[in-house]
Amino acid sequence: MIRFNQIQKTYQLGNQSVPALQGIDGHIQKGDMIALCGPSGSGKSTLLNILGLLDMDYQGEITLDGKVYPTERLAAAKVRRQKLGFVFQRFNLVPVMTALENVAYPLHLNGFSKQQQDELALQMLEKVGLADFTQHRPDNLSGGQQQRVAIARALVHKPTLVIADEPTASLDSQSANVVIDIMKQLGHEMGTTFIVATHDPRMATRCDRSIALFDGRLVNHASDIRGMSWAS
Amino acid sequence: MGKLAARLPHFPVSLRFAWLNLLRNGRRSLLSILIIAIAVFALTSAGGFGLYTYESLKESTARDTGHLTLSQPGYFTRDEDMPLSNGLDNSQALIKQIIADDAIRSIQPRIYLSGLVSNGSKSTIFMGTGVNDREFDMKGPFLDIRAGQSLSDVTSSRYDPAKPQVMLGVDLARNLKVDVGDWVTLLATTSDGALNAFDFNVRGIYSTGVPDLDKRQLYIHITSAQELLASDKVSTLSVFLFETAQTNAVHQRLSQQLHQRLSSSDQLSKTSDQLSQPIEITPWQDRAFFYNKVKDLYDRIFGIMGTVMGLVVFVALFNTMTMTVTERTREIGTLSALGSYPSEIVRGFLCEAGLLALIGSMLGAVSNALMCVLLLFVDVQMPPPPGRSEGYPLNIYFSFELVAFTTIGVMFICLLAALFSARKGVNKPITEALIYV
Repeated sequence: MIRFNQIQKTYQLGNQSVPALQGIDGHIQKGDMIALCGPSGSGKSTLLNILGLLDMDYQGEITLDGKVYPTERLAAAKVRRQKLGFVFQRFNLVPVMTALENVAYPLHLNGFSKQQQDELALQMLEKVGLADFTQHRPDNLSGGQQQRVAIARALVHKPTLVIADEPTASLDSQSANVVIDIMKQLGHEMGTTFIVATHDPRMATRCDRSIALFDGRLVNHASDIRGMSWAS
Repeated sequence: MGKLAARLPHFPVSLRFAWLNLLRNGRRSLLSILIIAIAVFALTSAGGFGLYTYESLKESTARDTGHLTLSQPGYFTRDEDMPLSNGLDNSQALIKQIIADDAIRSIQPRIYLSGLVSNGSKSTIFMGTGVNDREFDMKGPFLDIRAGQSLSDVTSSRYDPAKPQVMLGVDLARNLKVDVGDWVTLLATTSDGALNAFDFNVRGIYSTGVPDLDKRQLYIHITSAQELLASDKVSTLSVFLFETAQTNAVHQRLSQQLHQRLSSSDQLSKTSDQLSQPIEITPWQDRAFFYNKVKDLYDRIFGIMGTVMGLVVFVALFNTMTMTVTERTREIGTLSALGSYPSEIVRGFLCEAGLLALIGSMLGAVSNALMCVLLLFVDVQMPPPPGRSEGYPLNIYFSFELVAFTTIGVMFICLLAALFSARKGVNKPITEALIYV
């Protein structure tokens, strides 16, 4: 379970202090898929970066499975490689690696043997329906396929939490649906918590729960978010 | 080429990714490789030329003076009051004592003398050396005989004692207007201070390559020199070795040997094994003034050249790697987000720089080897060095040691450039790196 208490973040723009998060509290149960919604500038990305340990310059406390998030750079990297997974809006696959190598990369970081890396990465690619594309490089895959590889990469080392930043924003609706289905299915299957920042109502409605942010404050915990405004 | 790396299953993964990353901007990588190759070629060629020059000068000096010179202590720093007053007595006994050393090829006595040389109508100063005919075998190709022959063997039946021989420096012969077969008179002060003169037949005319020496220098037989100076002493004994590289070892051995013999002669009555006077051994390096100056000069020139080349490589690689790191900022952000440590990401860039350095160095070394081979077939003449009258053929030594040192140096510079560039990239906040366009 991830729990966050009084998360505050302020950006300094010249002499001006701009509050991005103003005391966010909450917790997310293991295996939940949470949509993080809100208009641009609401603090979604900031909260996502903090929860993903990409930004450690904040106030407040976050615990993951009872352990407090580290604030030191290398310790944070260690937590990220062991406990976290990431899915980015623009896939962010490594161009010189094949799909299999991209998926195997977190396993490589976690010290798995080459054979284990290949076996687990292949299993993961099978789960996302890309068993026939193991040797393809990202530039030979469609956007939807690339995002599926990215999901496989995010889940292959069985992380506790996956941070997904607008995972369907760069995809057509058909690919987006496939990606959402895969994320939801694998998330539940593996008991992995997903926090998905999204502007996409399709994505949000299919998550287990949603958190809405506005001006750096939590404004809604409702599971039905159909009434929210999605204007950016 | 990318497929090549993919088909090599045992190619280390980090190197394969480095290679593939280099191919992402092939033109830029090629340019970097060319810059490194040119730098390595320039350094190894210049260094190879230096090695050839050092080796040639070393051999020339060692064959001129002998690898080791045995003399009275301080012979080369003190002026003689009278000719041969600082010479060695009983040189034959000394030769017998040390000739047994396996590394010694020959020991040749020498007498240095000066005086006047005349053709009957014109006289000029000479600086002569009394030598054995075997001395010319030691000099090998480093004695340039322009006319006639070297001094003949005095023990040969064909040698006519009534026609003592002299070899004149080319400018001295020209000055005196004499040629091979002509007669000249040498006038010198004997070891007792009297004047003595002998007529000599010109046997050969040679050039040392140094105009100042060619104007004054001549060779006569050592026996003729002893007769002219009325002494049975010799100035020095030149020890010629089979290998110049053995100089220091033989120097140490002879020093110990001579020291022991001198000590025992102090304590007991003299036998044939004991020394009658202290002996100083001077290695060729101590008398190789031209060699030492040229080496000093070249070392500085090559040092400056190496520094400049190193800077060029550093700037080129720093530029290449900075562009590479900047272009891959988002990728660095992704790898960091996935949990890569900064050192792991930097290592990837170091691998790329290392590959560039290795390929460039290999290309440079191969070019250098080809140039060395080419110069064996194509005769390129270098102008005479300062103070010399003769040019010499351009040759470059190919040295694996030099190539290895240059490669290591270039590798170090490239890795340093990559380290500086990559550190800047990995120190960027991950959140900024991920949105970098």
